[in-house]
Parts: sequence; structure tokens; C-alpha cells
Amino acid sequence: MAKKGVSSDTSHLYDGKVVRAAAPSRKKLAAKMTSSQELPDDAIPEVHIPSFVESLFGGPLVPKMKFLPADKMVQTLQMLSGAVMILLGVLTWIVTPVSGTVWFAAADLIGAEFLGLGIHLLILLVALGCGFWGIFSRDSRFLLASYVLFILISLRFASSKVTFEWVEFDDGLIQKVLLVTYAVLLVMYIELTNGVVRFSMLDTSIRTGEVYVMNVKKVLNKYHISLVVTPLIAAGVAAITLMFKDIIADFVGLFSEISATRLEESVELESVYGVALGTMIVFLIVAVVFAANVPGRIQKIRENAD
Amino acid sequence: MAWSRKSAMFGSLAIALYLLGLTLRNHQLVTVAVVLLSFLTWAALRASHADVAASGRRMEERTEEEAGVSLSRLSAMRKLSSARVFEDGEVDVTLRIQNHSPLSKVLEVRDSLPEVMRIKKGANYILMELGPRRETLIEYTVECPLRGFYTIGPVCIRIQDSFGLFHKEKELHVYDDFLVFPKTEDLKDAFVKSKVPKIFTGAVNIRQPGPGSEFYNLREYIAGDPMKAINWAATARSGGKMMVNERERDAVSDIILILDSRAVSETGPVSRNSLVYGTRAAASLASFFLSRRDSVGLVVYGDEVLSVDRDTGKKQLYVILTKLAGAMARGETPLQVVTNRILPHINKGSPIIILSCLEDDSTIVNAVRDLRARHFDTTILSPSSLEFEFDARRLDRTGYEVLKTERDILISELRGLGAFVMDWEPDMLLATALSGARGF
Repeated sequence: MAKKGVSSDTSHLYDGKVVRAAAPSRKKLAAKMTSSQELPDDAIPEVHIPSFVESLFGGPLVPKMKFLPADKMVQTLQMLSGAVMILLGVLTWIVTPVSGTVWFAAADLIGAEFLGLGIHLLILLVALGCGFWGIFSRDSRFLLASYVLFILISLRFASSKVTFEWVEFDDGLIQKVLLVTYAVLLVMYIELTNGVVRFSMLDTSIRTGEVYVMNVKKVLNKYHISLVVTPLIAAGVAAITLMFKDIIADFVGLFSEISATRLEESVELESVYGVALGTMIVFLIVAVVFAANVPGRIQKIRENAD
Repeated sequence: MAWSRKSAMFGSLAIALYLLGLTLRNHQLVTVAVVLLSFLTWAALRASHADVAASGRRMEERTEEEAGVSLSRLSAMRKLSSARVFEDGEVDVTLRIQNHSPLSKVLEVRDSLPEVMRIKKGANYILMELGPRRETLIEYTVECPLRGFYTIGPVCIRIQDSFGLFHKEKELHVYDDFLVFPKTEDLKDAFVKSKVPKIFTGAVNIRQPGPGSEFYNLREYIAGDPMKAINWAATARSGGKMMVNERERDAVSDIILILDSRAVSETGPVSRNSLVYGTRAAASLASFFLSRRDSVGLVVYGDEVLSVDRDTGKKQLYVILTKLAGAMARGETPLQVVTNRILPHINKGSPIIILSCLEDDSTIVNAVRDLRARHFDTTILSPSSLEFEFDARRLDRTGYEVLKTERDILISELRGLGAFVMDWEPDMLLATALSGARGF
């Protein structure tokens, strides 16, 4: 038993003594599980909250605006966007006369019509410049500015007349075809430039390992097919609405020649309100298709087909 | 039907141009609006969202089938390489996606991961074309930097039109749980020894000389040593000095780890705070003592007092590690409540190691006084949240100095009671901190 005031261990017994100790064998087993005590630098993930413009262009894909150099797919889209933009610029110049615009009215008021024309041309050139810069630097802010300017230039009071100030077309059909082509090109320009940004995001995400893409070619093929099919369908629908007067007259003509002639000569149907009526009818049919769940039913049949 | 911002922009632009076109009697604007609307309509038709739109029911009322015909025949399975890893460990995830439909699909698949996980290899976000009645394997590796209970899943699948105008999402409720244990540090020496070992049948050894069966060391003969302990061969070699064999005492040491997991212990950055350090230290100590065949118990106190009964062996290590992995910073139970509750159940003299930031608890001094009064070998390892806060620049110099002084006074007071106290700074290794605490 240890004495009071003396440590209960046996260390005092070794004072001045030679001790040769063998290490206990289990010491080797002690604390085998090892790892570094260092804390991970990036244990807390960085959360990137996309800005409005980023999310507008990114869609549901990973929004990231710092891109790696463009790959072949993106370069092709850039070239295509550039070509569409030039065509759009030319068509905009043809189908959008300066008369009826605010700047023309203002210039006319001060007796300097050329100023109105100058502003008109300037808007178009700035739209093209912003578009070029936006496409090749893949900067969505410039692309947005370009869209706004392309739309701004077409805001004019037109009195329901399709007038091309720079080129004269007597044939109404050619006018309508040009108008539809212009509209399709504008929408395709928006879509293609959007595609440049979207695929740049995707490409960057693939190359940085954030996203992995399987069967890239098939995925891209579907996009390419859509780029061809969708404008054709949109152009078809737009042509139907623009030529609604002729279609309705032909249809009514099956039952009554006189009514058909009256419809053909109708000023209201020729005007923009005729187009509105056509649009209403076309989209009413589309609404019925949606209400009857036709696409869903078709999809269901296709999914269940063995 | 889920609209993207792009489709919303197209839709509102189309309506605006249509109305402007009618107002300005401008064919051009109306035509652009019609083309935009056609574009949107076609994309919506292609994305097959009409089923939801036509049902007239709210989202939460949708049945699985209505949630999307196109997504209804997809399934997922997941396999993890391990259900238990240590911090900074890696888990290989294999996700199998199956398309039971006769149609090929372009899918975006994202396997939901906890925020703190980092992808080491591969990707959990895949864009793919999955052929009819095909399946594919997605493999990726995640690194787990912080302890805890984690769940991987659900698998989010999105199908959208080519232009990204509309999309439909579905969550496949495939979940896999796994556990990340706090990482342990190699402790080379035994710093803490019981002065009052517990002896029982089948006991294992404690590193102290005494009556036992296993050889411990050789020493010179001291009067009173039994004759049978004399090592004659060693005596012959030592040139006349009488040498005796010393044996290890058959016993185990009860070591109690007390971890502070009160809300205040999480003060500081997510990966550098008192609780993170405390759990790592507790894991390292438990691993060390258990490998030394001591008996280790754990008490975690926060909003309640949770304890793991003393035991030995590898199973006990995993019980302790699991408890540590789940320790959450909650509540404000004072230390004295813990000591009052556990003291009657601990063998007198057992080493007690307290891992606490020593903040916001007025009972610490009394609790330690009680422990010392009962001759418990008390060691306090205190990760300093002041350092974490100061390093993260959340505390100014003056505030730091004032709080540091208060802390130093408290530590001095605790040392005055006979406890080994270590002010554990963030960059200090646990072994160094323990050495400091024990005065080595």
C-alpha cells in the first residue's frame, strides 16, 4: 500500500536504477488509423447565383458566363448566327421603312428628314454591331441589346399596309413571303445566338467536368433537326395567318361564290385585324388540341407501343 | 408545364408585339409575334406537356402517370462503394439509369449530393441520349470533407425540348445513406493513464508494471521483490547486478471523453470550429485508447446528454465514431449537469477528457472542481473559437484581445484546480495539444 504523500505509482523505485525496457508489442498496434489533421480549404462549396441575364440565356442548364475557347459546335453556331444576322439586317432594311417611326416623325417636325433616316440606319447598324460583338465574344448583354434594337426599329405606325420603302414589290405574295422570312429570321437569330451562349455554357461545363455528356452527336443532331423543322413550322403557321383572307375565301367559295368574292375584297380582312382573326382561329385550334390532350395521348401510345 | 425564363421571355415578347402590332396596325410586328407563338407552341407540343395542362388539377394532385408520360418509364438504381468513411475519404457512386420505353430520350440527370460533398472524379450531372430499352451506368467519386450522416438522392431527371423552352422534371426517390466519421490523428504516446485501474476476469493489460502475465521490462532487484521474478540470464549478463522481470498489470483503464456539442460550439466557419475539432479529437483519442485496449466511454452534451457506455474493442470504436458523426450543435446544457449525472457511474480516478470551447457556461469551474475533488484525472482540450473567428476575420482585434484575456483567466483558474488544460489553437496538432495539456 502506498504511503501517504507518496505517489502510488512505482516510478520512485527506479531512481538510480538501470532499466532496460522492451517496448510492449501492442504499442505497434496503437493508433493505426491515421490521416492528416489539415482542414480542407474548400469544405464549404461556392454557390453561384445566376444573374437575370445569365438565367435568361442559360435556361435550365448550368448558368456560367466565363467560357472556355469555343469548340467546333459553338464556332459553327457563331458562323450561322452571323450569317442569319446579316440576312436579317438586309431584310430589316427592306421591310422596315423609316416612315411611321417616332424618330422620323421627330425629324420631320424639325424639317430634317435625313436625320430620321440617319437615326434609322444608325439603329440598324448598332443592332448589327452589338450582334457581332455579342456573337463572337459570347456576351449575352450585347445580344440582348441587339434584340431590343432589332425590335425597336420595327416599331412604326404602318396603317395596316405592307410597304417596303427601299424595294418595290407589286406582288402581295412576295411581300408576305418576305415578311414571314423576316419574322422567322428574327426569331432564328434570337434562338441561334441564344444557342451560342447555351452551348458555350454546356461545353465549358463538360470541359471543366461539371457535366458529362453521353452520345454528344445524337444530342446535337436533335438540336440541328429542330433548328430546321421548327422555323419551317413557324413559317407555315405565320403564312397561314397572313394569308387567312385567301384561305377563308377559298373555303367559303366551296359553298358560295358571292360570299367568297366579298371576303376577298374585304378591307378589314386585308388589314392587320384580318391577320389577328387568322391568328385567333389558328391558335384556337391549337388550344383545342391541347385541351383534348392530344400530344399527351400520342405520347402515351408511343411509349406503350411494343 | 415548367417554363424556362427564355420561354417566358418569348411568350411575353410575343404578346407585347402582337398587341403593339394591333395598336400600330403593323403587319410586321404581328407576323413576328405569330412566329414566336408558333415557335413556343411547337416546342410545347414536342415536349408533350399537354397532359398536365389539360388535367386541370394542381401539381400536388398529380399522379405518377400524370407527372409525365415521357418520364414514367425511367428508373434508377444506385450503389455505393462504402457506407462508412472517414472525413476526407472517398465514396464511389454507381448510378444505373434504365429506359424501359421504346423511345429514345435526351435526358439531363442529376444525382443530388449533400452540399458539402465534393466531386473528385466523374460527374453527377449528365446530359445523355438514352436509347430505347437501354440502360447506362454513371460513375463518379465524391470526397467527404465533413463528418455527419449523409444521404445521396433523389435522382433528378429532366427532359426538355431542343431549345430549352420547356422542361419536365421528375425525382426518382432512390436514396442511399452513408456515414462520415470524424478523421483521426495518430497519437504516438499514451498521455493519459489511470491511477486506479479496473481489474476483472479476462482483463487486458494497462501500461503499468504490476502483477500480471505479460512481460513489461527488466529492472534492478529491489528488496522485497519475489525470488521467482529474478531473471537469472539477465543477472548473469549484467555483471553482478540482480535483474528482475517486471510484468504488466492485467487491468483496463476507464477513459471518459466528454464532448461539448452545445450551440456555441459551432461558432466559427463550417469546417473550422470547436465542434469539428472536438469530434476529431474525441475520435482520435477513442481510437488510440481502444487500440491500447482501454475501456472508453463517451458523453456528448448539447440539448441533451447522450452517452456511450464504457467498453473496449473495435465495435466500441465504431459506436463512438457513429455518435460523434451525428453530434449536432444544439442546446446549452451546462457541464455541471453532465458531471452530476455521470460521476456516480464512473470509477474513481478514471481519466476524464473534456473537449469544450469553455464558452457560455458559468458552471465549468464548479464542474471541474467537483471532478478534481473526487480525484478524477481531468484533462481539458479547448479548441479556441476566438482563433477560428479571428482567422475568419469575424472578430476585430480589440474584441479578440478582450475575449482572449477572459479566456486566459478562466483557463488559469481551471489549471489552479489541478486540471490539465490546453488552449488548442487551430493549427496545432492534437498530439501537440495533448502534450501541452499534460505538461510533456
